[in-house]
Amino acid sequence: MSGSLLFQSLVLGVLLGGLYALLAAGLTLYFGVMRVVMIAHSAFLILAAYLAWWFNERTGLDPLLSLVVTVPLFFLVGVGMQRLLITRLRPATLTMMSVLLTFAIALFIEGMIGFVWSGTQRRVQLPYSGSNIEFFGANIAVVKLVAFVLAAASLGALYVLLKKSRFGQALRATIQHREAAQLVGIRTDRVAALGFGLGLATAAVGGTALALDATIYPSLHWHWVGPLMAIIVVGGLGSIPGTAIAAMVLGIGQSLLQVELGTTWAQTLFYVALFATLMLRPQGFFGGRLAQRF
Amino acid sequence: MTQWNRPALGLAATLTASALALSACSADAGGGGSDDTITIGISLPLTGDFSEPGKGVQRGYEAWAEMVNADGGLLGRQVELTILDDQSSADRVVQDYEALIAQDQVDLVFGPFSTRLVVPSARVAEEYGMLFVEPAGAAAEVFDQGFENLFYAAPAIANDHYNHLAEQILALPEAERPQTVAVAAMDDPFAQGTAYGLRDKLADAGLDVLVDEVYPPNTTDFSSIAAKISDSGADVVIGGTQYQDAVNLIVALQQLDYQPRLAAFSTAPTNPEFSSAIGEQTEGILAPTGYTPEAPWPSNVEFVEHYTETHGNPPAEDEANAFTTGQVVAAAVEAVGCAEQGDCQQQLIDWLRENEVETVVGPLSWDDAGRPQSAHMIQQYVEGDIRIVLPADAAEADFLFPKPTW
Repeated sequence: MSGSLLFQSLVLGVLLGGLYALLAAGLTLYFGVMRVVMIAHSAFLILAAYLAWWFNERTGLDPLLSLVVTVPLFFLVGVGMQRLLITRLRPATLTMMSVLLTFAIALFIEGMIGFVWSGTQRRVQLPYSGSNIEFFGANIAVVKLVAFVLAAASLGALYVLLKKSRFGQALRATIQHREAAQLVGIRTDRVAALGFGLGLATAAVGGTALALDATIYPSLHWHWVGPLMAIIVVGGLGSIPGTAIAAMVLGIGQSLLQVELGTTWAQTLFYVALFATLMLRPQGFFGGRLAQRF
Repeated sequence: MTQWNRPALGLAATLTASALALSACSADAGGGGSDDTITIGISLPLTGDFSEPGKGVQRGYEAWAEMVNADGGLLGRQVELTILDDQSSADRVVQDYEALIAQDQVDLVFGPFSTRLVVPSARVAEEYGMLFVEPAGAAAEVFDQGFENLFYAAPAIANDHYNHLAEQILALPEAERPQTVAVAAMDDPFAQGTAYGLRDKLADAGLDVLVDEVYPPNTTDFSSIAAKISDSGADVVIGGTQYQDAVNLIVALQQLDYQPRLAAFSTAPTNPEFSSAIGEQTEGILAPTGYTPEAPWPSNVEFVEHYTETHGNPPAEDEANAFTTGQVVAAAVEAVGCAEQGDCQQQLIDWLRENEVETVVGPLSWDDAGRPQSAHMIQQYVEGDIRIVLPADAAEADFLFPKPTW
């Protein structure tokens, strides 16, 4: 492998890792707050990508502007979903039943996308989709950079929100110990609903970032379920910084392995990492004490 | 029908058919035309997995029958299609063809859709000694089964799709000819067949293959493959692609500012959605195609006109290949002068082995295994539209080389 190819792959890996971190952030939040395994997260990502594409197709404006509508919309859908569906599951079987429930929601979303926009594969066409910036001999695609900045900004905002605000403290208290949080007067049900809404709002951002540089089709979300689950387990369930680090490591790893081993074998990295984590350190490598109780 | 009496019935059927055929022939000779019809048995996947292409093939067959009948029929007899639905099931397709041949006593059969259904039904047809011309099943395995009655009614099997392009590249003067090749192909027999056909022809002529990547069908991130191709700086990039993989790979290559002198991708560029996905950077991209409504072959002009009149839109490749099947069988029937079960079928088979047939996809001839001996036309994006550039006698625009930057 030549030096320039190595550097180029490294740059691509960092950009890919950033995108992975954004796509997986909501997933770890749901699990942290509510012990919910949210299979439908990727389906919401694809739905947001379709909305961004449709917005661009209809108005001709930049798909990023669709965030103004989709982020609040997804937040409300998330709160509603938690209030109306997730809370009805019995606490004793919540984790397992949430898989079934959200699986059904994923199928429903996939079906609706196909029904409304047909199965035709779509792509947002931007004047800058093929443009790139030279960076020490490597090329950085503008769309990938935009997606990366979007990821960094929203993860940063999420981090600040969780660390600095009263709501964030309440959310983290709920994540750490639900009963104790209730004892100190936190309305954990409300916090959980808002947390779920927040998770889904990240899906709106993630889906839009994805739409900038991907060809989308209704069943694309199945492709993302496995890798994103692997990322949050490796990162430690419930930990957003852990997820970000794991996403970055796996993104760079995948990008470099692809050069040496080819695409087929590079894809197995996620599953190897998943098995290794479960065998060696089930609570995840970066943070998170939750899995021990899981 | 129970299993045990099938051979006996088949034999009886053949004898009866021969007897009928003899009397039919003599009637024809005497009176010049009769009220007798030629029945053609077909089984198609009208429901299930292949229902979309299956219906396309049905439209093509029906268009062919309408046009033949409007023109006075075959051998002066009207043509009647008996189409059964095999529900995309290989078991059903076998039952269907047995019923059509042995029970309904059809005079001729046409093939179903897709490799998976072509192979079992060709076996049934061979058992009964029937000529079997089929509109689908380009994969190499169809022709490795040892069938002696099968003919594929399309220009070429997957590996020969790029033959015209390979010839064109190798005919360039030494100084202009590309020297290096990068290949990325989906792990799929059809996609790899197309790409490797071109790769091997170029490699045999001395070009260096610098990158040779295979990716699984579910791959969506092509940046690493693009980085490898870009790093190699190959003159030619070949994609053994379907649709989204080609689009994502092309955009990833553009993002790395890789500028090949020639870029060829299978399937995707002929999709109408392609140029709305790639935008204005499609200029010079090449793709092989088995059929286009614009092709200048005389029968194609009539076919497109008739089809557009009845359906409101021009025919696609499935319709065209079905129509071609009809044309191939009709040519043999007209030449040999018979259309019934029995000895006639062998005469039809022998005639097709020796002769070339003019069709809507150009002139076709076959080797001993039924592989068509032509190549696909090569299309290229020229001034924003996809046009035929090769072979020269069918070209709508000049072959653009080197490719403009994307």
